Amino acid sequence: MKNRFIVNIIHRPEMVPEYAEKVTGQGKAEDIGRKALLTESLDIFKTQQRLAHENGLKTTIQMTYASLFNDEAVAIAKEHHEKYGDEIALTLLGLPCKEFREKYKTKDFCIWMFSMEDKISIVNDVFEKFHERFGFYPESTGSYYMDAELTNYIKETYPSVKCAVATCWEEGPKAYHTCNNSWYTLMDGGPWAPWIPSKVNTHAPAANEAEDSGIVAIPHLSRDLLACYDGNGSNFGTHPQNVLRGMSYYKEDGEYKYPYFYNLVDQYRVLGDYNNGIAYNMMFVGPGWMNKMGRWEAPYELLYQSYSDGMKYYGDLKKQGELEDLTMAEWADFYREHKNYTEPECALWKDILYGSDKQLFWYNDPFMRVCVNMEQGGAIVDLRPYAAKLEWPVGIGTPHVQDCSYPFLIQEKYRAGYFTHYAGEGTVRSAKLIHGSEEVDLCLCRTKAKFSEEVMKDEKGRTVELAKCDMNDKKGKLVLPKTKTSAGKIRKLTLEPVDIEFSDLKVKLQTEIIFGEGSSDIRIKRNILEMSDPKAELKINEYMVACYGTTEYPEDMTCVTLRAMGALDSYEKGLESGRITGIDGGNMSSASRSIDYAYKCREEYVPDASAVNASIRAIKTLVTMTGEGGKNNVGYIKEGYAFSPMFTLGYTAELSAGDTYTTTLALERED
Amino acid sequence: MAQLGKGRLNYRCPSCFMRDLDIDMFYDKEKDEYCCIRCQYRGNEEDVLAKNEMARFRYKSMKKRFTMEELRQ
Ligand SMILES: [Zn+2]
Repeated sequence: MKNRFIVNIIHRPEMVPEYAEKVTGQGKAEDIGRKALLTESLDIFKTQQRLAHENGLKTTIQMTYASLFNDEAVAIAKEHHEKYGDEIALTLLGLPCKEFREKYKTKDFCIWMFSMEDKISIVNDVFEKFHERFGFYPESTGSYYMDAELTNYIKETYPSVKCAVATCWEEGPKAYHTCNNSWYTLMDGGPWAPWIPSKVNTHAPAANEAEDSGIVAIPHLSRDLLACYDGNGSNFGTHPQNVLRGMSYYKEDGEYKYPYFYNLVDQYRVLGDYNNGIAYNMMFVGPGWMNKMGRWEAPYELLYQSYSDGMKYYGDLKKQGELEDLTMAEWADFYREHKNYTEPECALWKDILYGSDKQLFWYNDPFMRVCVNMEQGGAIVDLRPYAAKLEWPVGIGTPHVQDCSYPFLIQEKYRAGYFTHYAGEGTVRSAKLIHGSEEVDLCLCRTKAKFSEEVMKDEKGRTVELAKCDMNDKKGKLVLPKTKTSAGKIRKLTLEPVDIEFSDLKVKLQTEIIFGEGSSDIRIKRNILEMSDPKAELKINEYMVACYGTTEYPEDMTCVTLRAMGALDSYEKGLESGRITGIDGGNMSSASRSIDYAYKCREEYVPDASAVNASIRAIKTLVTMTGEGGKNNVGYIKEGYAFSPMFTLGYTAELSAGDTYTTTLALERED
Repeated sequence: MAQLGKGRLNYRCPSCFMRDLDIDMFYDKEKDEYCCIRCQYRGNEEDVLAKNEMARFRYKSMKKRFTMEELRQ
């Protein structure tokens, strides 16, 4: 099947570009009404529009509040809508202008940071001004981030809105750092590709109609899913000037070249392979990136050339029948027609810049966002528990004035991952193999993955409904099954086998990672394919070290309770009675153990545990692990300590050649 | 010494760039050099450009154009 590659090209006439005052205005007293600034900004917009149209592409024109006061900008939008089919939309970026400052008496310009009262007032103002100029309300809007409360208000008041730019992927503490801690777009933990936001939390996709916010969200830029995870987001995206900012271009024979940009677009085209043939890409370059004074080390000529080349590449793909240019509103319709709520977004991503052959897999659905790192043996290195659909209001007057990030349970860059300095542990979901006194972590076993989408079958090979897809039900061990409606499809990563060498034993192990559609479970299977000595003792330790947070700094862990559940009957009683809560509640059998987190470095081990779990009350999340296979299966929980503010959930078992050990990690909301 | 100003382009500090910091440098017209006000880097335009080349060492595939087949996994 040939992939369909859809592109949104968005332009905004930003009369006072975000960077203009600081960059081009250096050495001048602030004056956002400067005539030269307004003229230049509009010229850039005209140039961007021309380059798209010359290449046969239509755009979405996102009018800014400031541009609604400019007759020429309004006239251009109308003309281009008529002539080229461009959509006239409305962005909540680009608020600053004389009129705005006089009315709101603030220099704030990020819509999500205002108080709810101001958000409502600004939205009304901007949408009504738009209506006054164009005679209709827009179908698309956006900002760098759209918090759920803002989106809900807009949808309720202006129901014509069906599409919005709603987050910048992994633009968080890393971007803040790159900007000398002065750029407050803290919005890690969201989707990298279009999604339907839930009404409660923008980053977490809706699982059903009841949770549907009514819009299709698109990310601000299509970013490099490897480079941006460990670097500045604004260096690696389908934004030609981002590529210049990252300095991943070069000069040869007097010419500037940036194959990385084209490689990035092409890798996005390939993502259709993992998403039922639909690939998406967007370009949204604000005018501040193309100013006449040059930007970063690049003179205007290079800024212009890179934009022109970018448009030409899209235009050429379109001419070859390889690209469909849609407006944002058209894309929203297309998305709703071709996708459903539970269909995950998947991306098996490879390094296209640093010359390694590293591979990451990103998975996003209404219950979780996950990053699997093949360079670390298929370890989960980032995990966001969307199943909790955490309420997280942002802006002035809320507990999170700037921080929009969806909290993580695992984040290898902010919480160490496998490697720590001298002491303690970092967050990661991996496994260790133990033989005698030797121990090898799969994080050090580099491998590659193949992706597959399969229909879930029962033992007789029949297709099953997900509600019945209880893979562990022979032992009744899969905890907390969800009610499912769609037929059970799985997305599966099959990793190339890795060799584990002990001083007197070699083991070949293969990992499979399985995501059930509509389920909040991640199943990991470890198959012991070969052992040089079939009688040798081999132990596996499946573990997840986790915590919670949104930034690089530790949080208070005393809201965490850990449990290792004993006999199954008692656990099921706990489930029947609603929820297993209290540590010493009557639902736990005498074999069960629990720890209320107090940084005391305690550990508990429960033979044949039915489950181990952690309640993390600060983020209303319950994470549960079950394990089965091999002999002497033991579940364990570990508290951390002040220098290692983490917790560990895990299982150990003894394995032989041919054995498979299966664990399931389940996420859910716990109030 | 007069105050620092802006140079021809807004060059960033190559040393800070290497640690993922974008810091625009300011220009000393008397010494014809750019100065980082966060770290200790100072250098003329030629030196800045040379150091920027050095910063590219990590982009080993910077000049490679991948085929679609190479991108498929
Ligand atoms: Zn510096």
